[in-house]
Amino acid sequence: MSELDTRERLEFTRRGFLKASGGLVISFSLLGTAEALIAAADETGPFAAPPAGQLYAWLAVHPDNRATLFTGKVDTGTGTQTALAQIAAEELDFPVERLDVVMGTTTETVDQGPSYGSLAIRMAGPQIRHAAAAGRAVLLDLAAKHFKVPAARLIAREGIIEVSGVSDRRITYGELVDGRRLNFAIGATGEQFDMKVAPRARTKDPHSYTVVGRSVPRKDIPAKVTGAFTYVQDLRVPGMLHGRVVRPYGIGAHLREVDESGLSSIPGFVRTVRRDDFLGVVAETEWAAIQAAAQLGSTLQPSGPDAARAKWSAWNGLPEMDQIWETVRQSSGRDIVVAKHGAVDAALVHAARQLRATYRTPYQMHGSIGPSCAVADVKADRAILWSGTQMPHETRRDIAKVLGMPLEHLELRWYEASGGYGRNGLDHVVADAAIMSQIIGRPVRVQWMRWDEHGWEPKGPPIVQDLSGGLDARGRVVAWRHHVWVPTLGDTHLIAAALTGNPAACGETGLGDPSITYAYTFPNADVMGHCEGRVGLLTAWLRSPGQFETTFAMESFIDELAAAARQDPLAFRTSHVKDPRALAVLRAAADRYGWRSRPAGAGQATLQGQVARGRGIAWVNRDGARVATIADISVDPKRAAIRVERVVVAHDCGLVVNPDGLRNQVEGNVIQSLSRTLHEEVTFDRAHVTSLDWARYPILRFAEIPDSIEIVMVNNSSEYPSLGAGEPSTCPTAAVIGNAVFDAIGVRLRQTPFRPKRLHAAML
Amino acid sequence: MMQTLTLNVNGRDCKVSAEPDSMLLYALRDGLGLRGPKFGCGLAQCGACTVVLGTNAIRSCVTPVSAVGSGHITTLEGLGTLERPGPLQQAFIDAQAVQCGYCIGGMIMSAHALLTRKPDPTRDEIKRALNGNLCRCGTHMRIVRAIVRAAKMGSGS
Repeated sequence: MSELDTRERLEFTRRGFLKASGGLVISFSLLGTAEALIAAADETGPFAAPPAGQLYAWLAVHPDNRATLFTGKVDTGTGTQTALAQIAAEELDFPVERLDVVMGTTTETVDQGPSYGSLAIRMAGPQIRHAAAAGRAVLLDLAAKHFKVPAARLIAREGIIEVSGVSDRRITYGELVDGRRLNFAIGATGEQFDMKVAPRARTKDPHSYTVVGRSVPRKDIPAKVTGAFTYVQDLRVPGMLHGRVVRPYGIGAHLREVDESGLSSIPGFVRTVRRDDFLGVVAETEWAAIQAAAQLGSTLQPSGPDAARAKWSAWNGLPEMDQIWETVRQSSGRDIVVAKHGAVDAALVHAARQLRATYRTPYQMHGSIGPSCAVADVKADRAILWSGTQMPHETRRDIAKVLGMPLEHLELRWYEASGGYGRNGLDHVVADAAIMSQIIGRPVRVQWMRWDEHGWEPKGPPIVQDLSGGLDARGRVVAWRHHVWVPTLGDTHLIAAALTGNPAACGETGLGDPSITYAYTFPNADVMGHCEGRVGLLTAWLRSPGQFETTFAMESFIDELAAAARQDPLAFRTSHVKDPRALAVLRAAADRYGWRSRPAGAGQATLQGQVARGRGIAWVNRDGARVATIADISVDPKRAAIRVERVVVAHDCGLVVNPDGLRNQVEGNVIQSLSRTLHEEVTFDRAHVTSLDWARYPILRFAEIPDSIEIVMVNNSSEYPSLGAGEPSTCPTAAVIGNAVFDAIGVRLRQTPFRPKRLHAAML
Repeated sequence: MMQTLTLNVNGRDCKVSAEPDSMLLYALRDGLGLRGPKFGCGLAQCGACTVVLGTNAIRSCVTPVSAVGSGHITTLEGLGTLERPGPLQQAFIDAQAVQCGYCIGGMIMSAHALLTRKPDPTRDEIKRALNGNLCRCGTHMRIVRAIVRAAKMGSGS
């Protein structure tokens, strides 16, 4: 079976062009310098990305008047494919439904930087906008030559160009390009996020947009709901074996011996694959690979380093779980100042009222529903990787180092995976597959088991935060201190590299980031991150890295101060904020909610056993996007259970490309962050993670979803350039719920998750 | 021992080679090349592998292929195609009730079983029927909306 795929037509595009065009070089130039056709990449390499300064690197127009946008950005389930197509279609004057999108594949797309940090629309959007605008100019130029009229007399609309006032003189883009590659120099400088593409192209006035700003239906959904979509988990390539990994019992343990007796009786079993402490199995069927891996110790309940047929050394190098925040606090690193002005200590001493609190948040996981998967076909002089990574071009570079092969021998073909929400197992599993394929000389598909994913995907780190604040006699904040101890949010070392005795092959440990946007106007402030390397488990970015946690502490502690000052929590905030966009989202959320001014906790039900209701508010500025969230909750004191009833989000990410796509993202952020607030904590012993399935790492279920999530878009207009929306609305949620619990029952929660046991203990 | 088994899938008898104690999911995916049912956990905890056997939503990742017998299996592919989506699938398209979509096949099959059993479910009944299906992207509000929409259109199947 080959890569049968609904995208086959798309796969045709670049390769098809290169083959079909043969030696034909059409060399017009927009900027005056003609460039020769780049050598055609094919199945054997050498492999290289297309040159960013050429129009064909971004766009292809086909004879049937469809077109293809090529982008190094990838869609991790957030709808960027459709949104970027809208941006291109807008500038190109082309029907968005006839514009297909090829993402990520390293021989077909320009490296526009990884798809993280809510940066696709913000940073890649302008690059694509300029490329498409240059494309439109090229097409008009071609049409001017075709009709022998000045370009100024031409009108481009919906993929057709006509001579103004002469309706029978019209030609489609497809006819005009006539199957040729768009070999036009448009110019590009810089790299990745900072790349400037087609700098001289004239883009449209945003006031005239008709495609950007419209709720265009997502391109991927029809295939996804009918089983026609090809996830990386669905790929099958000729000659492929199924692989499974067998990870060490203790995270740092060494492989002592492998007893292979009995494995050969598993129908379809082929062999074990070992390099140092890296162990895997390959088989003709997936079931056989699972059975063989289980015999070697890959199970839900591993019972000891010697209990299965793979024998590991004893390793107990993880910190004690209940000491993890003390461990974080004592780890070394580098201090990064976020804000430091005035004299906080003196102001605290002289304050009428002084408050202190410590906030703790645990390791959390990305928790993709589909465990990480990749396929690799590694030969002596070339390697093809099929991967759903969020950073195809980086991952290709990393795997070249892991395999010890020249970069130009590698191609990464990108296919969408189950949603990732950050750096999860997808970059690691491609290394697993590549190493196995290199050893056995055949294509290998590796999918992690559920316990591999829960146990080994990089986690969001545990964070501890100390806050103190002082109020004057009028209840204004005179001093504010917020210190965060944060392990690395971006350790990019690969598990398989470490297991094969080559831990430094690629990646870096990095340091934590303070992850705070300090946006209040307190007269004395000391805001600082104590930023550390790896502490315990492997950690990397998880949706709104660090800032979900710091917003929890900051916006809860503001609430503590407001309550101590007996002030309305909204008015307390707005009286200490000057940023007009922050004020705008706070007011928009309050208006939609119907906020009435009163201090938190006033006149609420007491702990007499009846259900109590409360409201909470919090806001964030994440990389310029402002979000304010308000929620109504109820607390059933008998069950110590929190139920979220109504959520209102006011969201300012500037101009919204696809309003329904934005709502989908915000709803997703709210529900996922509610899950992280109420349920999620990775557990571990000294050897390994122990929350290895959904029973021990529960996430939010349908029974718990809010009755409504209402979204108000603020500053959604062309004066405000588009910012990212994939993460910001995650940030306020834990503070909103904690503040609402305080409002309902007068109990302050300073540690997530708010499970019944913790709430019950806090209520005693 | 590998055996050749006959499974009735989406109205057709199909021959598939499998070990009798292997799970239905692998026969559907690897044997028959279907993509609707997904491997999510292998533990009947997430619902990504859900198919309908007879009229019941089952977890194909823990159902031995030998236990299916001559029962009629319906997968996501049995409800419609990309060119002609079924009414329930169309309701998910209309509600744009997908983010990454890895869970969505299981969601649709659980909903399909519910609507077959109860064509006009309440919102609470929908949430109960889907409570064993996990979605990590947080598409829940839209999924419920899509199923309400399908029920209103009388399009349980």
